[in-house]
Amino acid sequence: MSYDDVEIEDMEWNEEIQAYTYPCPCGDLFQITKEDLRLGEEIANCPSCSLCITVIYNMEDFQNDTKKNNEPKSRQAVAVA
Amino acid sequence: MSELNEAPSPADEEEVWSWGAGTDGQLGTSKLQDEHLPQLLSLTSLPSISMLACGGAHVIALTSGGKVFTWGRGNSGQLGHGDNLNTSLPKPLSFFDGDYFISQASAGWSHSAFVSDSGSLFTCGNGSFGQLGHGDNISLTSPAKVSYFVDKSVKMVACGMRHSLVLFAGNQVCGFGSGKRGQLGVSSDRTKSVNLPCFVSGLEGVEVVRVAANGDHSAAISANGELFTWGRGFCGSPDVQTPQCLPSSQSFREVALGWNHALLLTFDGKVLKLGNTLDKQSEKQQLQEDSSETLLEKVIGFDGVEVLQIAAGAEHSAAVTESGEVQTWGWGEHGQLGHGDTNDQTNPQLVSLGSGDLQTKETNVYCGSGFTYVVRRKQQLSSSPTSS
Repeated sequence: MSYDDVEIEDMEWNEEIQAYTYPCPCGDLFQITKEDLRLGEEIANCPSCSLCITVIYNMEDFQNDTKKNNEPKSRQAVAVA
Repeated sequence: MSELNEAPSPADEEEVWSWGAGTDGQLGTSKLQDEHLPQLLSLTSLPSISMLACGGAHVIALTSGGKVFTWGRGNSGQLGHGDNLNTSLPKPLSFFDGDYFISQASAGWSHSAFVSDSGSLFTCGNGSFGQLGHGDNISLTSPAKVSYFVDKSVKMVACGMRHSLVLFAGNQVCGFGSGKRGQLGVSSDRTKSVNLPCFVSGLEGVEVVRVAANGDHSAAISANGELFTWGRGFCGSPDVQTPQCLPSSQSFREVALGWNHALLLTFDGKVLKLGNTLDKQSEKQQLQEDSSETLLEKVIGFDGVEVLQIAAGAEHSAAVTESGEVQTWGWGEHGQLGHGDTNDQTNPQLVSLGSGDLQTKETNVYCGSGFTYVVRRKQQLSSSPTSS
Protein backbone atom coordinates (compact mmCIF):
# COMPACT_ATOMS: atom_id res chain seq x y z
CA MET A 1 0.00 0.00 0.00
CA SER A 2 1.29 3.41 -0.97
CA TYR A 3 2.31 5.67 1.93
CA ASP A 4 1.55 8.88 0.05
CA ASP A 5 1.03 10.43 -3.38
CA VAL A 6 3.82 12.83 -4.32
CA GLU A 7 4.08 15.08 -7.37
CA ILE A 8 7.31 14.77 -9.34
CA GLU A 9 7.91 18.51 -8.88
CA ASP A 10 8.13 17.94 -5.13
CA MET A 11 10.83 15.31 -5.56
CA GLU A 12 14.50 16.25 -5.64
CA TRP A 13 17.00 15.09 -8.23
CA ASN A 14 19.88 13.33 -6.51
CA GLU A 15 23.02 13.39 -8.63
CA GLU A 16 24.80 10.83 -6.48
CA ILE A 17 22.26 8.05 -6.88
CA GLN A 18 20.90 9.32 -10.23
CA ALA A 19 17.30 9.23 -9.06
CA TYR A 20 14.45 11.46 -7.98
CA THR A 21 14.03 11.25 -4.22
CA TYR A 22 11.53 12.16 -1.50
CA PRO A 23 11.89 11.82 2.29
CA CYS A 24 10.74 8.51 3.79
CA PRO A 25 9.46 8.57 7.39
CA CYS A 26 12.10 5.99 8.31
CA GLY A 27 14.83 8.55 7.57
CA ASP A 28 15.93 7.20 4.20
CA LEU A 29 14.70 8.35 0.77
CA PHE A 30 12.08 7.06 -1.63
CA GLN A 31 13.77 6.71 -5.02
CA ILE A 32 12.79 6.42 -8.68
CA THR A 33 15.05 6.66 -11.74
CA LYS A 34 14.33 8.48 -15.00
CA GLU A 35 14.34 5.14 -16.75
CA ASP A 36 11.60 3.92 -14.40
CA LEU A 37 9.55 7.04 -15.16
CA ARG A 38 10.12 6.66 -18.90
CA LEU A 39 8.70 3.15 -18.68
CA GLY A 40 5.63 4.38 -16.84
CA GLU A 41 6.59 3.12 -13.38
CA GLU A 42 4.86 5.19 -10.71
CA ILE A 43 6.01 3.51 -7.51
CA ALA A 44 9.09 4.90 -5.73
CA ASN A 45 10.53 2.51 -3.14
CA CYS A 46 12.60 3.11 -0.04
CA PRO A 47 15.71 0.90 0.07
CA SER A 48 15.57 0.67 3.87
CA CYS A 49 11.96 -0.24 4.61
CA SER A 50 8.72 -1.67 3.27
CA LEU A 51 7.15 1.69 2.38
CA CYS A 52 6.64 3.14 -1.08
CA ILE A 53 5.01 6.23 -2.58
CA THR A 54 3.03 6.83 -5.75
CA VAL A 55 4.69 9.40 -8.00
CA ILE A 56 2.32 11.75 -9.84
CA TYR A 57 3.84 12.74 -13.17
CA ASN A 58 3.19 13.08 -16.86
CA MET A 59 4.79 10.12 -18.61
CA GLU A 60 5.14 12.05 -21.86
CA ASP A 61 7.57 14.42 -20.15
CA PHE A 62 10.02 11.55 -19.87
CA GLN A 63 9.42 9.87 -23.21
CA ASN A 64 11.69 12.19 -25.21
CA ASP A 65 14.13 12.48 -22.36
CA THR A 66 16.33 9.67 -23.61
CA LYS A 67 20.02 9.39 -22.77
CA LYS A 68 20.78 13.07 -22.38
CA ASN A 69 21.52 14.34 -18.92
CA ASN A 70 18.96 17.14 -18.79
CA GLU A 71 17.04 16.37 -15.60
CA PRO A 72 15.93 19.91 -14.59
CA LYS A 73 13.99 20.18 -17.85
CA SER A 74 11.70 17.35 -16.90
CA ARG A 75 10.97 18.99 -13.56
CA GLN A 76 9.85 22.26 -15.12
CA ALA A 77 7.70 20.50 -17.64
CA VAL A 78 5.30 19.41 -14.92
CA ALA A 79 5.50 22.47 -12.70
CA VAL A 80 1.85 23.39 -12.91
CA ALA A 81 1.23 24.01 -9.17
CA MET B 1 25.28 34.75 30.91
CA SER B 2 25.56 34.54 34.64
CA GLU B 3 24.13 31.04 34.69
CA LEU B 4 26.98 29.43 32.80
CA ASN B 5 27.89 27.24 35.71
CA GLU B 6 24.44 25.88 36.31
CA ALA B 7 25.74 22.30 36.35
CA PRO B 8 23.65 19.60 38.01
CA SER B 9 24.83 18.46 41.41
CA PRO B 10 27.67 15.94 41.31
CA ALA B 11 25.41 13.28 42.80
CA ASP B 12 23.35 13.32 39.62
CA GLU B 13 23.98 10.81 36.92
CA GLU B 14 22.81 11.38 33.39
CA GLU B 15 21.84 8.52 31.11
CA VAL B 16 21.28 8.85 27.36
CA TRP B 17 19.48 6.03 25.58
CA SER B 18 18.79 5.70 21.84
CA TRP B 19 17.05 3.20 19.55
CA GLY B 20 15.47 2.82 16.10
CA ALA B 21 16.86 3.66 12.64
CA GLY B 22 20.60 4.12 12.88
CA THR B 23 22.28 3.67 9.52
CA ASP B 24 23.35 7.33 9.30
CA GLY B 25 24.90 7.41 12.76
CA GLN B 26 21.93 9.18 14.34
CA LEU B 27 21.88 6.83 17.35
CA GLY B 28 25.31 8.00 18.51
CA THR B 29 26.38 4.43 19.10
CA SER B 30 29.27 4.57 16.57
CA LYS B 31 27.61 1.57 14.90
CA LEU B 32 25.75 2.27 11.66
CA GLN B 33 22.82 -0.03 12.27
CA ASP B 34 19.25 -0.09 13.55
CA GLU B 35 18.70 -0.95 17.21
CA HIS B 36 15.45 -2.54 18.38
CA LEU B 37 16.23 -2.15 22.07
CA PRO B 38 17.37 0.98 23.94
CA GLN B 39 21.14 1.42 23.84
CA LEU B 40 22.81 3.14 26.78
CA LEU B 41 25.34 5.54 25.29
CA SER B 42 28.68 6.25 26.85
CA LEU B 43 28.92 9.94 26.11
CA THR B 44 31.64 11.09 28.43
CA SER B 45 32.29 14.04 26.13
CA LEU B 46 28.72 15.28 26.43
CA PRO B 47 28.07 16.82 29.83
CA SER B 48 24.71 17.81 31.25
CA ILE B 49 22.25 17.86 28.34
CA SER B 50 19.57 20.54 28.54
CA MET B 51 17.73 19.39 25.42
CA LEU B 52 17.96 17.28 22.27
CA ALA B 53 16.50 18.04 18.86
CA CYS B 54 16.08 15.08 16.50
CA GLY B 55 15.50 15.48 12.75
CA GLY B 56 15.28 13.23 9.71
CA ALA B 57 18.51 11.45 10.58
CA HIS B 58 20.52 13.89 12.70
CA VAL B 59 20.62 15.02 16.31
CA ILE B 60 21.45 18.33 18.02
CA ALA B 61 22.31 18.31 21.73
CA LEU B 62 22.51 21.44 23.85
CA THR B 63 24.33 21.39 27.15
CA SER B 64 23.31 23.35 30.24
CA GLY B 65 26.36 25.51 29.55
CA GLY B 66 24.97 26.56 26.16
CA LYS B 67 27.31 24.39 24.08
CA VAL B 68 26.16 22.50 20.97
CA PHE B 69 26.95 18.98 19.76
CA THR B 70 25.63 17.42 16.54
CA TRP B 71 25.80 13.98 14.94
CA GLY B 72 24.13 11.69 12.39
CA ARG B 73 23.53 12.49 8.73
CA GLY B 74 25.39 15.51 7.45
CA ASN B 75 25.02 15.31 3.68
CA SER B 76 23.29 18.71 3.44
CA GLY B 77 25.49 20.47 5.98
CA GLN B 78 22.86 20.10 8.70
CA LEU B 79 25.48 19.20 11.33
CA GLY B 80 27.09 22.64 10.89
CA HIS B 81 30.68 21.41 10.95
CA GLY B 82 31.59 23.06 7.64
CA ASP B 83 31.36 19.86 5.62
CA ASN B 84 28.83 17.37 4.24
CA LEU B 85 29.98 14.40 6.27
CA ASN B 86 28.06 12.06 8.56
CA THR B 87 29.38 11.57 12.05
CA SER B 88 28.32 8.67 14.25
CA LEU B 89 29.40 10.17 17.58
CA PRO B 90 28.49 13.55 19.13
CA LYS B 91 30.82 16.21 17.76
CA PRO B 92 31.18 19.65 19.35
CA LEU B 93 29.98 22.51 17.15
CA SER B 94 32.59 25.13 17.90
CA PHE B 95 30.99 27.85 15.76
CA PHE B 96 29.18 29.47 18.71
CA ASP B 97 31.94 29.09 21.29
CA GLY B 98 32.70 32.24 23.19
CA ASP B 99 30.12 34.34 21.35
CA TYR B 100 26.73 32.74 21.85
CA PHE B 101 24.98 30.67 24.51
CA ILE B 102 22.58 28.42 22.57
CA SER B 103 19.39 27.89 24.55
CA GLN B 104 17.05 26.19 22.06
CA ALA B 105 17.38 24.32 18.77
CA SER B 106 15.33 22.37 16.23
CA ALA B 107 16.22 19.76 13.63
CA GLY B 108 14.24 19.42 10.39
CA TRP B 109 14.48 16.72 7.76
CA SER B 110 17.84 18.07 6.56
CA HIS B 111 18.27 21.49 8.15
CA SER B 112 19.02 22.82 11.63
CA ALA B 113 18.20 25.99 13.56
CA PHE B 114 19.66 27.42 16.78
CA VAL B 115 18.42 30.16 19.11
CA SER B 116 20.82 32.01 21.41
CA ASP B 117 19.85 33.36 24.83
CA SER B 118 20.42 36.82 23.36
CA GLY B 119 17.59 36.18 20.86
CA SER B 120 19.55 35.52 17.66
CA LEU B 121 18.61 32.82 15.16
CA PHE B 122 21.13 30.74 13.19
CA THR B 123 20.41 28.14 10.49
CA CYS B 124 22.38 25.64 8.41
CA GLY B 125 21.82 22.60 6.19
CA ASN B 126 19.55 22.16 3.20
CA GLY B 127 18.29 25.51 1.92
CA SER B 128 16.79 24.44 -1.40
CA PHE B 129 13.25 25.38 -0.37
CA GLY B 130 14.26 28.60 1.40
CA GLN B 131 13.99 26.92 4.81
CA LEU B 132 17.15 28.64 6.10
CA GLY B 133 15.53 32.09 5.75
CA HIS B 134 18.52 33.91 4.26
CA GLY B 135 16.75 35.17 1.13
CA ASP B 136 18.18 32.51 -1.15
CA ASN B 137 17.91 28.76 -1.74
CA ILE B 138 21.52 27.95 -0.93
CA SER B 139 22.54 25.18 1.47
CA LEU B 140 25.01 26.04 4.22
CA THR B 141 27.47 23.76 6.00
CA SER B 142 28.06 26.20 8.89
CA PRO B 143 25.43 28.10 10.91
CA ALA B 144 24.69 31.64 9.69
CA LYS B 145 22.74 34.31 11.55
CA VAL B 146 19.35 35.06 9.99
CA SER B 147 19.56 38.80 9.46
CA TYR B 148 15.78 39.37 9.46
CA PHE B 149 15.76 38.72 13.22
CA VAL B 150 18.83 40.83 14.09
CA ASP B 151 16.75 43.49 15.87
CA LYS B 152 14.09 41.04 17.09
CA SER B 153 14.35 38.79 20.07
CA VAL B 154 13.82 35.20 18.92
CA LYS B 155 12.31 32.90 21.56
CA MET B 156 11.82 29.61 19.74
CA VAL B 157 12.34 27.88 16.40
CA ALA B 158 10.65 24.75 14.97
CA CYS B 159 11.78 22.95 11.81
CA GLY B 160 9.57 20.73 9.64
CA MET B 161 10.49 18.67 6.61
CA ARG B 162 11.13 21.68 4.38
CA HIS B 163 9.98 24.68 6.40
CA SER B 164 10.77 26.63 9.57
CA LEU B 165 8.65 28.56 12.10
CA VAL B 166 10.04 31.24 14.40
CA LEU B 167 8.41 32.72 17.51
CA PHE B 168 9.84 36.07 18.55
CA ALA B 169 9.20 38.92 20.97
CA GLY B 170 5.74 40.42 20.80
CA ASN B 171 4.15 36.99 20.31
CA GLN B 172 4.84 37.13 16.61
CA VAL B 173 5.34 34.09 14.41
CA CYS B 174 7.13 33.95 11.05
CA GLY B 175 7.48 31.09 8.60
CA PHE B 176 9.79 30.36 5.65
CA GLY B 177 10.63 27.46 3.36
CA SER B 178 8.17 25.25 1.49
CA GLY B 179 4.54 26.32 1.79
CA LYS B 180 2.98 23.98 -0.70
CA ARG B 181 0.65 22.33 1.84
CA GLY B 182 -0.13 25.55 3.68
CA GLN B 183 2.48 24.90 6.38
CA LEU B 184 3.81 28.49 6.33
CA GLY B 185 0.38 29.91 7.14
CA VAL B 186 1.34 33.22 5.58
CA SER B 187 -1.56 33.61 3.17
CA SER B 188 -4.92 32.08 2.37
CA ASP B 189 -3.61 31.78 -1.19
CA ARG B 190 -1.38 28.83 -1.89
CA THR B 191 2.26 29.75 -1.41
CA LYS B 192 4.84 27.55 -3.06
CA SER B 193 7.83 28.64 -1.03
CA VAL B 194 9.44 31.74 0.48
CA ASN B 195 13.09 32.18 1.42
CA LEU B 196 12.70 35.18 3.73
CA PRO B 197 10.63 35.17 6.95
CA CYS B 198 6.97 36.08 6.40
CA PHE B 199 4.37 36.71 9.09
CA VAL B 200 2.00 33.86 9.83
CA SER B 201 -1.48 35.33 9.46
CA GLY B 202 -4.41 34.80 11.76
CA LEU B 203 -2.44 34.76 15.02
CA GLU B 204 -2.83 38.51 15.67
CA GLY B 205 -3.85 39.07 19.26
CA VAL B 206 -2.97 35.51 20.24
CA GLU B 207 -0.31 35.15 22.91
CA VAL B 208 1.68 32.33 21.32
CA VAL B 209 3.95 30.54 23.78
CA ARG B 210 5.28 27.73 21.60
CA VAL B 211 5.43 26.62 17.98
CA ALA B 212 5.88 23.14 16.50
CA ALA B 213 6.62 21.78 13.03
CA ASN B 214 7.19 18.38 11.44
CA GLY B 215 6.55 16.95 7.99
CA ASP B 216 4.25 19.47 6.29
CA HIS B 217 2.42 20.30 9.53
CA SER B 218 2.62 23.41 11.73
CA ALA B 219 1.14 24.23 15.13
CA ALA B 220 1.14 26.87 17.84
CA ILE B 221 -0.07 26.92 21.44
CA SER B 222 -1.35 30.04 23.18
CA ALA B 223 -0.81 31.05 26.81
CA ASN B 224 -4.36 30.05 27.66
CA GLY B 225 -4.00 26.61 26.13
CA GLU B 226 -5.56 26.99 22.70
CA LEU B 227 -4.10 24.92 19.88
CA PHE B 228 -3.75 26.27 16.35
CA THR B 229 -2.81 24.03 13.42
CA TRP B 230 -2.11 24.68 9.75
CA GLY B 231 -0.56 22.88 6.79
CA ARG B 232 -1.27 19.38 5.57
CA GLY B 233 -4.70 18.13 6.60
CA PHE B 234 -5.05 15.23 9.03
CA CYS B 235 -6.75 11.98 7.96
CA GLY B 236 -7.13 13.05 4.36
CA SER B 237 -8.95 16.29 5.16
CA PRO B 238 -8.04 19.34 3.03
CA ASP B 239 -4.85 21.32 3.64
CA VAL B 240 -5.23 24.36 5.89
CA GLN B 241 -3.60 27.55 4.56
CA THR B 242 -3.74 29.69 7.72
CA PRO B 243 -3.82 28.83 11.47
CA GLN B 244 -7.09 27.38 12.68
CA CYS B 245 -7.99 27.12 16.35
CA LEU B 246 -8.97 23.58 17.32
CA PRO B 247 -12.47 23.62 18.77
CA SER B 248 -12.02 21.90 22.13
CA SER B 249 -12.91 22.39 25.75
CA GLN B 250 -9.43 21.14 26.73
CA SER B 251 -6.43 23.33 27.51
CA PHE B 252 -3.18 22.22 25.91
CA ARG B 253 0.31 22.74 27.22
CA GLU B 254 2.29 20.81 24.61
CA VAL B 255 1.93 19.68 21.00
CA ALA B 256 4.15 17.19 19.15
CA LEU B 257 3.75 16.75 15.40
CA GLY B 258 4.46 13.75 13.18
CA TRP B 259 4.04 13.50 9.42
CA ASN B 260 0.39 12.39 9.67
CA HIS B 261 -0.54 12.92 13.30
CA ALA B 262 -0.38 15.35 16.19
CA LEU B 263 -0.09 14.48 19.88
CA LEU B 264 -1.54 16.92 22.38
CA LEU B 265 -0.87 17.11 26.10
CA THR B 266 -3.45 18.82 28.30
CA PHE B 267 -2.67 20.80 31.43
CA ASP B 268 -4.01 17.94 33.53
CA GLY B 269 -1.70 15.39 31.92
CA LYS B 270 -4.00 13.71 29.39
CA VAL B 271 -2.82 12.75 25.89
CA LEU B 272 -4.99 13.28 22.83
CA LYS B 273 -4.25 12.90 19.15
CA LEU B 274 -5.24 14.15 15.75
CA GLY B 275 -4.74 11.94 12.71
CA ASN B 276 -3.15 8.52 12.63
CA THR B 277 0.24 6.88 12.30
CA LEU B 278 1.03 4.01 9.94
CA ASP B 279 -0.18 1.31 12.32
CA LYS B 280 -3.76 2.40 11.71
CA GLN B 281 -3.96 2.61 7.95
CA SER B 282 -7.23 0.68 7.81
CA GLU B 283 -8.88 3.00 10.26
CA LYS B 284 -7.51 5.96 8.34
CA GLN B 285 -9.36 4.76 5.28
CA GLN B 286 -12.62 4.59 7.19
CA LEU B 287 -12.19 8.01 8.71
CA GLN B 288 -11.83 9.59 5.31
CA GLU B 289 -15.45 8.73 4.71
CA ASP B 290 -16.71 11.17 7.30
CA SER B 291 -13.93 13.63 7.97
CA SER B 292 -16.21 16.58 8.55
CA GLU B 293 -15.94 16.57 12.31
CA THR B 294 -12.86 17.13 14.40
CA LEU B 295 -10.80 13.98 14.68
CA LEU B 296 -9.56 14.60 18.19
CA GLU B 297 -9.26 11.31 20.05
CA LYS B 298 -8.02 10.29 23.46
CA VAL B 299 -4.95 8.04 23.47
CA ILE B 300 -5.92 4.84 25.21
CA GLY B 301 -3.72 3.35 27.90
CA PHE B 302 -2.91 6.21 30.27
CA ASP B 303 -6.02 5.87 32.45
CA GLY B 304 -5.42 7.49 35.78
CA VAL B 305 -1.78 8.17 34.97
CA GLU B 306 -0.59 11.69 34.43
CA VAL B 307 1.66 12.24 31.41
CA LEU B 308 4.44 14.80 31.80
CA GLN B 309 5.90 15.00 28.32
CA ILE B 310 5.18 13.87 24.75
CA ALA B 311 7.19 13.48 21.54
CA ALA B 312 6.39 12.42 17.98
CA GLY B 313 8.50 10.92 15.21
CA ALA B 314 7.30 10.78 11.62
CA GLU B 315 5.06 7.78 12.34
CA HIS B 316 5.56 6.96 16.01
CA SER B 317 4.79 8.50 19.37
CA ALA B 318 6.35 8.60 22.83
CA ALA B 319 5.38 9.85 26.29
CA VAL B 320 6.87 10.12 29.77
CA THR B 321 4.51 9.40 32.65
CA GLU B 322 4.52 10.89 36.15
CA SER B 323 6.44 7.87 37.43
CA GLY B 324 9.21 8.45 34.88
CA GLU B 325 8.20 5.56 32.65
CA VAL B 326 8.64 5.88 28.89
CA GLN B 327 5.83 4.57 26.67
CA THR B 328 5.96 4.29 22.88
CA TRP B 329 3.48 3.37 20.15
CA GLY B 330 2.89 3.67 16.39
CA TRP B 331 5.10 2.43 13.53
CA GLY B 332 7.89 0.09 14.61
CA GLU B 333 9.57 -1.24 11.47
CA HIS B 334 13.02 0.14 12.41
CA GLY B 335 12.76 -0.68 16.09
CA GLN B 336 11.89 2.94 16.89
CA LEU B 337 9.48 1.77 19.62
CA GLY B 338 12.34 0.09 21.50
CA HIS B 339 10.41 -3.06 22.37
CA GLY B 340 13.01 -5.45 20.96
CA ASP B 341 11.11 -6.12 17.75
CA THR B 342 9.87 -4.38 14.61
CA ASN B 343 6.17 -4.62 15.39
CA ASP B 344 3.73 -1.72 15.24
CA GLN B 345 1.77 -0.89 18.40
CA THR B 346 -1.67 0.70 18.39
CA ASN B 347 -1.55 1.62 22.07
CA PRO B 348 1.27 2.86 24.36
CA GLN B 349 3.68 0.15 25.57
CA LEU B 350 6.35 0.43 28.25
CA VAL B 351 9.98 0.71 27.15
CA SER B 352 12.43 -1.09 29.40
CA LEU B 353 15.33 1.22 30.28
CA GLY B 354 17.22 -0.91 32.77
CA SER B 355 16.91 -0.47 36.48
CA GLY B 356 19.52 -0.01 39.15
CA ASP B 357 19.95 1.67 42.46
CA LEU B 358 19.39 5.18 41.26
CA GLN B 359 16.31 7.30 41.72
CA THR B 360 15.03 9.01 38.60
CA LYS B 361 14.79 12.76 38.96
CA GLU B 362 13.83 13.69 35.44
CA THR B 363 13.15 11.87 32.17
CA ASN B 364 12.79 13.42 28.74
CA VAL B 365 11.98 11.70 25.45
CA TYR B 366 12.76 12.98 21.95
CA CYS B 367 11.84 11.51 18.55
CA GLY B 368 13.51 11.84 15.17
CA SER B 369 11.82 10.60 12.00
CA GLY B 370 12.55 6.91 12.66
CA PHE B 371 14.41 6.91 15.97
CA THR B 372 14.01 7.80 19.64
CA TYR B 373 16.15 9.21 22.47
CA VAL B 374 15.67 9.32 26.22
CA VAL B 375 17.70 11.52 28.56
CA ARG B 376 17.29 10.49 32.18
CA ARG B 377 18.76 12.27 35.16
CA LYS B 378 19.17 10.08 38.22
CA GLN B 379 20.16 10.77 41.76
CA GLN B 380 22.22 8.30 43.71
CA LEU B 381 20.34 6.97 46.72
CA SER B 382 22.14 7.86 49.90
CA SER B 383 21.71 4.33 51.23
CA SER B 384 23.32 2.58 48.30
CA PRO B 385 27.07 2.35 48.15
CA THR B 386 28.76 4.01 45.21
CA SER B 387 30.22 1.44 42.91
CA SER B 388 33.64 2.28 41.61
